[in-house]
Formats: sequence, structure tokens, C-alpha cells
Amino acid sequence: MELIFFYIFAIVALASAIAVISIRNPVHSAIFLMVCFLQVAALFVLLRSPFLAAVQIFVYVGAVMVLFLFAVLILDLGRERFGEYLHHQSPIAIIVVVGLIFVIGLGLARGKLDAPLGKYTEAELVKNIEVTGELLYTKYVFPFEVISLLLLVAMVGAIVLVMKERK
Amino acid sequence: MSANSGIVDILKKVFFIDLIKGLSLTFKYNVSKTITIRYPDEEKWIPYQRFRGLHTLNRDSQGRELCVACELCSKACPTKCITVIPMEDNTGIGITDRVAQVYEINLVRCMFCGLCEDACPTTAVRMGREYELACFSLDCAKADKHRLLAPIEIPAEFEGGYVVKAKLERNKEGIRVRPDLTKKKRWW
Amino acid sequence: MDINTLIEVALITVKVILVSSILFALPIPLTWIERKVAGHIQLRLGPFRVGWHGILQPIADMIKLMFKEDIIPDKADKWLFKLAPIISLVPIFLTFATVPVGDKITVLGREITLYISDMNVGILYILAVAGIGVYGLIFGGWASNSKYALLGSMRSSAQMISYELALSFAAIGVVMVSNSLSLVDIVNSQKVSTWNICYQPLGFIIFIIAGLAEINRIPFDLSEDEGTLAAGYHVEYSSMRFSFFMLAEYVAMVLMSVLAVILFFGGWSGHAILPPIVWFLIKVSAFIYFFMWVRFTFPRYRYDQLMTIGWKILLPLSLVNILITGLFVI
Repeated sequence: MELIFFYIFAIVALASAIAVISIRNPVHSAIFLMVCFLQVAALFVLLRSPFLAAVQIFVYVGAVMVLFLFAVLILDLGRERFGEYLHHQSPIAIIVVVGLIFVIGLGLARGKLDAPLGKYTEAELVKNIEVTGELLYTKYVFPFEVISLLLLVAMVGAIVLVMKERK
Repeated sequence: MSANSGIVDILKKVFFIDLIKGLSLTFKYNVSKTITIRYPDEEKWIPYQRFRGLHTLNRDSQGRELCVACELCSKACPTKCITVIPMEDNTGIGITDRVAQVYEINLVRCMFCGLCEDACPTTAVRMGREYELACFSLDCAKADKHRLLAPIEIPAEFEGGYVVKAKLERNKEGIRVRPDLTKKKRWW
Repeated sequence: MDINTLIEVALITVKVILVSSILFALPIPLTWIERKVAGHIQLRLGPFRVGWHGILQPIADMIKLMFKEDIIPDKADKWLFKLAPIISLVPIFLTFATVPVGDKITVLGREITLYISDMNVGILYILAVAGIGVYGLIFGGWASNSKYALLGSMRSSAQMISYELALSFAAIGVVMVSNSLSLVDIVNSQKVSTWNICYQPLGFIIFIIAGLAEINRIPFDLSEDEGTLAAGYHVEYSSMRFSFFMLAEYVAMVLMSVLAVILFFGGWSGHAILPPIVWFLIKVSAFIYFFMWVRFTFPRYRYDQLMTIGWKILLPLSLVNILITGLFVI
């Protein structure tokens, strides 16, 4: 049962991800990106992680995509049909992709991509929020703080850039 | 002074004083009586006695026509909407032997100024309180003598300024709103 | 599968059908009530001709809307144009999956929960999914290929980003007090102590203001500003597609009232003289009335005022609220 759902979500996610990069109309690809995010959120639910799923929807679908669309609406990219924008990158890209698939396949075949399951039981996993919070503020506090610092720097940078433009 | 008013201003904003004032006003309105007159279905506005509606031609206490067809109203009328043709008559339908053969008011042109009323020496022409003058053809835009002489629905001594219960009536002659003068109330 | 699981599945199906049909039917009385409230606030009577005190007016309107021509502008993005009303409608219905209207009742010796699912991330889920609804506005405005509609959808996207932050931060204060994200737990924690409004007055005010902005109602309905944008994002819509937007708007208003009641006014807890569900309905209808009352009292804010309120007042205040709550909780 779960496997069927997994395949449904995974296939839709992949298909919509391909649609995102192949459709020329930016607003249409934004929709497919949204669909992709929603499928990923559904996958999180299958992985017993409703908190991550909700955050995925909240942050990516709810906020990031709205900002993205806002930019699209302001810049009026809607009517533009981009020309060939892959300036001779296709051969390199294909090589890189093939290499990536090869590496992942190798890892899978050797069984090295098996992440160890956490120490948490099913019952604890349902109380997902407590577990996530605890881990973030104990084990992973350093990466957590680094990321927040990074985001702060990015925010200040964006503001500084805008301020300069205004002068 | 200015600092003081600034503090008051901030306090007003913090406690939403103005917003609450507005909300309480609208709430008061919400629970208070409405001003809608449910005309023509259930209610009708009866105007004051001073109202200038459709003209009436009056009779004296013995039922004789007061109009002596002197044509003063026709002369006084700024829009020339009154046609009066006099005739001699000794059967006693009028108070003198001169009565109107034709007395016609073109209601499309009439602007209800009431100058005819002032001009009339015998108080025959009076502005009544009938105001439902809309109709489907131009025929009824002319008020002839017969129509003007017809008894009026609202007695002249009835003090106006009320909303009364009324009933909408449809028949072949058209639509009428018949008021029930016994059930009256002040409007707002 | 044993019989118990089957009954559970059947119960959930019944509940889902019940909730969605109620939500579909809800705008019918709500439009009537809204127009009545509007009328009486303006000293009018409101609809009066169809049925007793005009109670059948919404049905007449519905029939009228159904028989209207469904116009799609020539230069519109047809696919998106058709999709947008559905996008705005579906998420708002989805949120009601976790909205509890009561705790448990026992029917025929079987416990029936008065909610479809008690997620442990309930409030987060509701805020997240309700946020998707704004895409309906954005896509609808963009796909119409009209200046007014595009401006409306741009306004609504900016407004949504600005106010969702304040809204969720206000909700976080409640979560900190109640120590849970689940809506049932939040209500139960208020049953033990007093209602959250006593602990979170500031949070409540922020929640209501941000909520008004979130559901696009006056004084924050900049995206459908009749005065300057004709009708904003749905200016090109007609017939049933237009009514989908209206439906979504009304259900969003119900959702915001329900959330305010659950988060701050103790949900279905109340004095024992009335059953809990009645208490819940009374509180929710009081909030719905409040939203209508506000709509016919205040003028619309200007766009820059909207942004100022969102970023310079509500957001810092909600952070302060979290800080104070944190100090008290510790």
C-alpha cells in the first residue's frame, strides 16, 4: 500500500520536475514546481515526518513560490519565449548527468547509500516535532546556527544591494 | 502640549479607540430601526398636507363645482399645461352659470409649482397628495376634468407625514397602492 | 481487513462528505447574513423580496450565476484561467480536514471523534495549506491578461507574504502556551486552565488583524479593491468560476473564525448548560459576525499603509509577543 503511494508521488514529482525545466512559460513552470514541492511533502508524510511535510508546504509552496511568482509578475516574463539558452552546454551537461547516475547506481549497488535508521521508535516518530526540535538544538545546533547566520548575511546583503541602487 | 497630545495619540492607537468608536457606531445602527419604507408591498408614505401632488378640482358643500372657468390658472401656469374651455350652464352643476367644459392638465409638462393654486379665486384647484402618476401610456399623462373631480383617497383633513400600511393591487387599470390610513406610524 | 477498520474507513468517508457538503452549502446562508448585516448597518433592510425576509435570495443568486455566460477572455491563458478558481477553492477545503468541532461523542457504544484527523502538526498544516489558496488569486489575475486583475494578484501575493508571517507568529504564541501544535490538544489545554485570550491578548489582536488580511477582507481587501481595481483578480471571471472565488472567500472567513475560536477562545469548552458543539457554533458565529461588522465599518487601507502595518508594526509586535510568552513559559 505504502509502496504504491510512494511510486505515485515519486513519479508525479519527477514528471513535474521535468515539466518545470522543459516548459517555456515561467508561470506554468512555477505551477509544476509547486506540484513537485507538494509531492515531496507527501513523500515526507510517507516517511513519518508530518512536521517536515508541513514546513515544506509552508516555506516552499507558501512563501518561496509566492515571492518567485511576484517577481515573474513584476518583470512580465510571462509573454517572453526564451530562445536557445543552453549555449553549447548540453554535451557537458549530459556527461555530468550520466556520471552522476553512474555514481548513484554504484552506491546503490554496493549498498552504501543505506542511511542508518535513527534510534527512534514508531511511537516517538509520530511525535515528530519534539524529536526534530530536540535534535536541532542539541546534536545539530552548530549547523543550525551556521545556516541561520548565512541567511542573515544573505538578507543583509540583499538590503545593502537595494540601498545602493537607490542612491 | 504637543508632547501630551502625542502621548494621547499613541494611547489612542494602542487601544484602538477610534476603531472601537467606529465599531460601536455601526453596531448601534445595526440594532436600530431601519429607514426603509417597504413601498409598495407593505407600506406607503402619506405626504404632509402642504405636499404638491396631483391637482384636485373641488366642490362646495352642496356638491357644486367651485371652478368658474376663469382661466386664471391657465394664465398663471409657467409651463402652459392647463387647458380651460368655459361654457354656459344653468343646470347648477357649478356655483355660477359659467363652468369648465374642458379642464385638462398635461401632467407631462406640469412641474407641480402650485401657481395655479395661488391664482385660483374660488379655491377650486388645489394640489392634492396623490403622487403615483407613473403609467404605461401617454393617455393617462393627461388629467381631465373627470379625473380631477373624482373624490380623493386621502381626506384633506388627514394629517400627513406618516408611513401607513398599504396593499399593492393589480388590476386591468394598472397597479395601485391602496393605503390603510388607520395603521399609521411616524417615519423614523 | 476486519470489520472495525471498515467501519473506521466508512466513518471517515462519511465525515469528509459531511464536512465538504456543509462547507459548500455554508456560503448560502452566509451571503444572506452578510447582506442583511450590511443592510442593517446602513439602516437598510437588505434583501427582502425573495422568501421570508429575503432568505431565498442566495438561491436566486446561485441560479442566476449558474445560467450566466461563462466568459473566457480571448487573450487569456485558458488553462490557468480555468485552473485558478479550483486552486483557490481546494486548499481551503483541505484545511478543514484537521479542524475539530468537538471532542468525542459516543453513538451506539462507539466513540466518534468530531474531527476528520487530529494531526500532531494541525495548526502548522492549516496555515501552510491555507497559504496555497493565494495561488488561485495570483494565477487567476495573471491568466486573465488584464491590467486590473494583474495588479490585484500582485497586491494579494505581496500582502500574503507580509501577513502570513505575523499570522503564524501570533499562532506560535498560543502553541507555546498550550505546548502542542494539535488543535485538539490546544483546546483541551484551555479546558484545564482559562482561555488563551487571557494569556495572549496581544497575540489575539495580531492574529485577528493578520487574519483579516489573510482572507482578503476589508480593511485589507486590496486585491479586489472595487474603488481602484474594479474587482481586482476576479474582474474577468463570470458565472460559476466567479462563484468559486466567492465560495473560497467565505470558507476562508469561516476557517479564520474557527481558528480564532480554537486558538484563543477555548474551542468547544464552555459552561455545561449547553452542549459543547453549541458553544463552538455560538463562538464561531460571533466571529463571523465580527468580520462582517468590521467589513461595513472601516474603509480600505492604502497599499503602502498595508505594508507598513504588516512589516513595521505587526511583525515586530508578534516577535515581542513570542519573546514575552517565552519568558512566561520558562
